[in-house]
Amino acid sequence: MSFDAAFQGRVDAIVARYPQPKAAMLPVLWEVQKAKGHIDTESEAWVANRLGVSPAQVHGCVTFYTMYKQRPSGRHHIQVCTTLSCMLRGSDELVAHLEKRLNVRVGETTHDGRFSLVRVECLGSCDTAPMFQLNDDYHENLTLEKVDRLLESLT
Amino acid sequence: MPKVTIDGHEMEVAPGTTILQACLSRGHEIPHYCYHDGLSIAGNCRMCLVDVEKQPKLVIGCYTPVADGMVVHTENEKVKKARAAMMEFFLINHPLDCPICDQAGECRLQEYAVEHGTGVSRYTEPKLALAKAVDIGAHVTLDQERCIQCSRCIRFCDEITKTGELGFFQRGERSQIGIFPGKRLDNPYSGNVVDLCPVGALTLKEFRFQTRVWYLRNTSTICAGCARGCNVVVGVGQQQTMMTTSGQIDDRIKRIVPRVNTEVNDWWICDEGRLTYLREQGSRRLVTSVVSGSAATYDAAVAKAAELLAAAGKAGTLGAIVSPRLVSEDVFAWKTALDALGGGPIHVHELTRGEDDDLLIRADKGANSTGAAWIAGKGKAPVAAKTLLVLGDTLDAADNPGVPAGTEIVYVGPFVMGASREAAVAIPSASWSEAGGTFVNFQGRAQRVRRCHLPVGEARPSWRIALDVLAAAGAVAPAWSSEDDVLAALAAKVPEFSGITTESLGLLGVPARGTVGA
Amino acid sequence: MPAERILTRNVGRPDSTALASYEANGGYQALRKAVGSMTPDGLTEEVKKSGLRGRGGAGFPTGLKWSFMPKEVDPKRPHYFLINADESEPGTFKDRLLMEKDPHLVLEGTLLGAYAIRASVAYIYIRGEFVHATQVLERAIEEAVAKRYAGKNILGGAWSCELVVHRGAGAYICGEETALMSSLEGDRGYPRLKPPFPAASGVWKCPTTINNVETVANVPFIVERGADWFQSVGKAPKNTGPKLYCLSGHVRRPGVYEAPLGLPMKELIHELGGGMLHADRPLKAVIPGGSSVPVLRADECDVDLDFDSLMAKGTMLGSAGIMVMDASTCMVAAMARIAHFYYHESCGQCTPCREGCGWLERILNRIEGGKGLQQDLDLLLSISDNIMGNTICALGDAAAMPTISFVKKFRDEFQHHVDHKSCLTGTLALQGVR
Repeated sequence: MSFDAAFQGRVDAIVARYPQPKAAMLPVLWEVQKAKGHIDTESEAWVANRLGVSPAQVHGCVTFYTMYKQRPSGRHHIQVCTTLSCMLRGSDELVAHLEKRLNVRVGETTHDGRFSLVRVECLGSCDTAPMFQLNDDYHENLTLEKVDRLLESLT
Repeated sequence: MPKVTIDGHEMEVAPGTTILQACLSRGHEIPHYCYHDGLSIAGNCRMCLVDVEKQPKLVIGCYTPVADGMVVHTENEKVKKARAAMMEFFLINHPLDCPICDQAGECRLQEYAVEHGTGVSRYTEPKLALAKAVDIGAHVTLDQERCIQCSRCIRFCDEITKTGELGFFQRGERSQIGIFPGKRLDNPYSGNVVDLCPVGALTLKEFRFQTRVWYLRNTSTICAGCARGCNVVVGVGQQQTMMTTSGQIDDRIKRIVPRVNTEVNDWWICDEGRLTYLREQGSRRLVTSVVSGSAATYDAAVAKAAELLAAAGKAGTLGAIVSPRLVSEDVFAWKTALDALGGGPIHVHELTRGEDDDLLIRADKGANSTGAAWIAGKGKAPVAAKTLLVLGDTLDAADNPGVPAGTEIVYVGPFVMGASREAAVAIPSASWSEAGGTFVNFQGRAQRVRRCHLPVGEARPSWRIALDVLAAAGAVAPAWSSEDDVLAALAAKVPEFSGITTESLGLLGVPARGTVGA
Repeated sequence: MPAERILTRNVGRPDSTALASYEANGGYQALRKAVGSMTPDGLTEEVKKSGLRGRGGAGFPTGLKWSFMPKEVDPKRPHYFLINADESEPGTFKDRLLMEKDPHLVLEGTLLGAYAIRASVAYIYIRGEFVHATQVLERAIEEAVAKRYAGKNILGGAWSCELVVHRGAGAYICGEETALMSSLEGDRGYPRLKPPFPAASGVWKCPTTINNVETVANVPFIVERGADWFQSVGKAPKNTGPKLYCLSGHVRRPGVYEAPLGLPMKELIHELGGGMLHADRPLKAVIPGGSSVPVLRADECDVDLDFDSLMAKGTMLGSAGIMVMDASTCMVAAMARIAHFYYHESCGQCTPCREGCGWLERILNRIEGGKGLQQDLDLLLSISDNIMGNTICALGDAAAMPTISFVKKFRDEFQHHVDHKSCLTGTLALQGVR
């Protein structure tokens, strides 16, 4: 398990923003996920040691907060909002279309590792429903055609 | 001091007392799971909801401090409805494991379901399925489905042992207690989480499926693992075994659990102490007397012992090594006998292993090293003695006192061990769980050891053997007919024990004379 | 006459996120005025007089909340100001708008609040999904620090205040103020027992105040124009100030609309929002305050959107997430979807919410899918009743209240699903999607 000096430097800077090192838990887990794509148990043990907490506490956080991934996701991680306002504007049809188009079921990743598909709760974009978050970016006011064009443009 | 009225009874309590504590102090139980006197307050089970007048909602009794003039109702319709509601929520995902769950008979879910539940399940959905029988440590098995998420086990590992092995994983209904992948629950106090768990989510491997708790005959006694002397309850199996048609009762120790003594061990016990009985049961017992390597009757062995000890006493070549696990009454009886036979140096064997820790464990593994030293003095090992009386109760070969080769040995003890094998005479005595007496712990606290079951074979209390040897040697033996008599004589003779009687020891012991708190 | 745009005055302007643009429109004058000529307690008094109430959902009077903080700072117990940017209440997207389009307004409001409560650091807890807003805020903070509006010795004075953005990672419950504190401290987002209240003992056991993004965005205007002016906007004395309304669902123009507190719902939906999405599908129901509040039937929608008017109607303004449902909506499906949200987001700490939310969702799914039993409707009401008031935090109530209101107000629709295993609206509920 190794995190390079640059990474550790970033972690040090984060820890310095708080009066107690444990408070850096969420931001440091983000750094790990950014660096490795997901957070495995080895990384959790490293974080535990760095912040002076037990590994069980770190694992407790990784499994509590749904944006942390314990396994790698697809290169294009599609998170479709399906809460009420999006549901009223066709989120379920959107999900069905994506499942068919990508030949994958919700919760799964395509065989070639390009796409993973999950349903998420309200993303705070109800006025542009239906929509999804692709990795970090919101794609709003979606139609099935728009979605198809977007998918085609992705490698 | 704030005055509170609970169900019509007015009481005055110390400031900061919670409603739950106020009720418990009166012997009035408010049902609760997550609250524990020895741990921080979690307030998550919601079973202790009570009705406080002028409050818009029910409040949890475990967290709400009593205010002066507060009026509390713990048994009205609102509270009963809430309790029934909480019970229903607890049970909807709970597996119906009672027939195979160790906790049955001492399970709060069972008890509260009967007392406070509706008796009918309205849940018709599939139950959550989680991992069962997960091996999480040397002594503990986890069943995630049975868990009610009270967090007592997590708080114990965080706050008491400070080892933090356990945690909550996942979220919401899918929350579960778990251990970090690859890690073990291996702190020296891991077994306490089993006591703490109000249900059968955490079970002790050594007790799993051994017996039903209602078949246990429970005795309050003191652990013999180290000089702390944790207060325990020993459960002896009373279940009739199915292997004999005569309905033989098992009568062996099935488990040891701690009992509360805020002066000694709070609510806890270490794993080694919890499992001392296994070491005892695993050791070879001396069940009949042995003289010169051959089986002999008790009377023949006593006569021979008397002969050897008297001769050596007269010649001044007698010495004694006393196990620090021997109860004070035994040590006193033998000291009395030896003095009458001519005397000689007495050495209390030192049983030290490891170090004292911050919690309960003492490096001194002699449960009565203090009491024995007060009676026998702090004499050095009697290397010059040609005849040694070895009073044994040490479990491991490694812990046996080393005896110089060629010494004549008279062994009186429960186990077959080095000394007894080479002994000229070996007489079986009762083990720690087979006879009562008094331990004095490292704090100078005298505590009562109680007999949990009958001695095996021909074993009997060591002090009785001392009297018999004395009589066989032709001396006048004291007229003691019970442990109480021996204790009375001991208290009269040895100043540190002055004033101590079986009654005064009670269940929690007393500080002996001259110690802090006496 | 359209109302003056106050909170959203910069939204839509080119370069609205840049400091230069913010300053050019009078930005940071309020901070200058407060630090230069007001005391912290004076500022708190002004906010109290304005009648500003929390915009996060609870509507607690902001000035009063600030006044709970100690008036002196014990060096061993620094004061902390926390901005709740965890916006996750379904139907709500106003804080995101402010952060993405006018970050300096949010920062100035934050700094003013920090000044009032004598904090020297403010953490902005922003939900992890708002990556773009996070970047915008962080850039704005750099600009503000460079110009001495934040950081050390603000505007050359003695007071320093650091601004730190802290990203969440996907947990609605962290919008609950005590869970936010747990999360900020690096733990699972578990709400805490109260008392102690945050002002007495909050993050790291220090005096703490937590405010919503939109709430603090009002403060620069209160400072600039005065409490009396604020009282003149909306409905004095207890429902004052400008408000951002989030309109979504079956309307032609969903979006954030600003109006003084007390905007009539009909005006929001039919005028500002362009009316119903489909001309042939009339209004059926509206949830006015984010999904945690009771639903209103179409015939109950003649109501002003302010705290007290909605309370009088048996619901709440909450986070002002107005979700509009037309006649095509299956209320059973809608409620099942809402129930799924609370099941997913429950932290799991306390028994009634942990077990009850999952139970509610399962029953609703069964009813929606044509497998409802006769006892299910009363069972839903009973479970909800058993959850309400018995939990550590309000999430349990947030699951129970909509359930009770949907079943009571649309009982015939639920009954139809149970009796006929089909939907009154004719819309086929998507089964097996869950």
